[in-house]
Amino acid sequence: MTATLVAILSLTVFGVPIALAIDRRARGALLVGTAFLYGSGTMYLVLLMLSIAHIRWTLISVTTASLVIFCAAAFIARREATDSPSRTANAKPHLLDLPTLFTIVCYALYATLAKVWEWDFWAMWGLKARTFLEIGGIDWRFLESPWNTFAHPDYPLLVPLNYDFVALLNGGWNDRWLGLLGVAWAVALALVARSLAARETTPFFAALLTLLVAALGFSRYVGLAEGALIAFGGAGVLFIRAALLDGDDVSWRHGALMLGFAANCKNEGLALLVAVTIAVIASSWFSAPARLRKLTPAYVLAAPWLILRAAHTLPTDIASGSVASRLFARLPHAHQILAYLAEELSKPWFWVAILVGILIAPAAARRRERFVFLVTAIQLLFYVTAYLATPNNLQWHVLSSWSRLTTHIAVPITFAVFLMLANSLRGSQDALHAEARSDE
Amino acid sequence: MLLLPFIDRGPSERAMARYSERAWPDYPRFLEGVREHTKPGDTIAVIVPIMRWETGYSYAYYRASYFLTGREVLPLVTPDNGRLPQNFRAAKYIAVFGVGLRVPADVVWRGGRGALLRLRQR
Repeated sequence: MTATLVAILSLTVFGVPIALAIDRRARGALLVGTAFLYGSGTMYLVLLMLSIAHIRWTLISVTTASLVIFCAAAFIARREATDSPSRTANAKPHLLDLPTLFTIVCYALYATLAKVWEWDFWAMWGLKARTFLEIGGIDWRFLESPWNTFAHPDYPLLVPLNYDFVALLNGGWNDRWLGLLGVAWAVALALVARSLAARETTPFFAALLTLLVAALGFSRYVGLAEGALIAFGGAGVLFIRAALLDGDDVSWRHGALMLGFAANCKNEGLALLVAVTIAVIASSWFSAPARLRKLTPAYVLAAPWLILRAAHTLPTDIASGSVASRLFARLPHAHQILAYLAEELSKPWFWVAILVGILIAPAAARRRERFVFLVTAIQLLFYVTAYLATPNNLQWHVLSSWSRLTTHIAVPITFAVFLMLANSLRGSQDALHAEARSDE
Repeated sequence: MLLLPFIDRGPSERAMARYSERAWPDYPRFLEGVREHTKPGDTIAVIVPIMRWETGYSYAYYRASYFLTGREVLPLVTPDNGRLPQNFRAAKYIAVFGVGLRVPADVVWRGGRGALLRLRQR
């Protein structure tokens, strides 16, 4: 356990100057949350680059490369202007943080009940990490082998390489406490959400929303890349949402980088980046070119793995054979497939509540949140298209993935709907108070 | 999950620890033995009581890949239950678990319900 905890702490410390170089105003919850996420994402880049440069991963090589980045980021952070007012001043502790803390403890106990037990952990994410650790770098021979296609060689490597960082600190492979990394990703997302919510609502509602986000951010698929994707993807969408609302360049930078790291967690993260791109264009047609330029860091971060997997011709199962023929063969049955997806929807009452929330919210608030709605809808469309094009048995594919996929999009939509309702409630309460004051 | 801090987590911990090995609880220990008696780069094929992909072989093959990282684990069965005799011939070692195998081979190591064999007449 100690090695995993030290790894989480190290990643957070490593990420502090990076977070400050990106956002000199970051403090408190925002700084801690983004620091861990940047530490985790940058450590992936460090291991990836060392591997490309044929430098064997050792504690010394990784620490040296990380120290160079740490010092460079600290230098940039010191040079940044410090006169901008902090936007995180409202993220104050609240009594409602206690249930959130309790939820985190419960999830940590669940995620560490035993060695990581999920099939997909030891057949994909953990398998790759353990295989790479053997040679101290990415084992392309393993990824290219036709016998290992079950491990999905094309999947991006942020999560396996984070496991390798823990193993390097541990002095060897140990999967007993890796579930703690999932806890850390979820907590980081909750801290980011708390900080962003505090800009727009009262401490009470911000704390309540954090409790919801924390609960949604905890992936029950321990050891898989879902936790990291939910954290990076969720934070990315929330930052871009904030950037679109207030035009803040810092939020653009955070959002773009988080989305870039999300694209390195899973192929669904790459799809999310495309969904965000389309949603940015659709929600701000005339200023789209300027705004898309601000997403450049995301594309730059997504590019290396895309190039590497193309260079090594790593197969993608969904694209095998004739995608178009499968798609067209299933399209006439799309309504049945959609009905099946509705039938198999995990936590249906949660989604009903989200839909009801959207319907009852004031029209102006709905317009304000159209970016998040668009991202969610486009991402869902991608998932449905993937099911229509899957080379696998459709029923098996839905049963084995649908509940996971819906967790990817739950945090941003919950955040938007909650704030719409909370702020409209607050608005009507404020109006009532104003009326009472006027009567007096 | 919310009850976890207040209950005896021992039974849950034991259940989750066994979760991956419901069918063959002693298979991981066997694979660890195989790992100890092979070197990185060795090729190993696995034979288990169920040689059908969906009902047991996929588990055996994936699990072996996880425990035997650094070695190359070769499957003997395809996902549509076709046989891969070329992998049997190509493997340096055959890890046999829960069944007997009558082929001319040297026993490199024997442990639990399995054995690690090296085929003769290469």
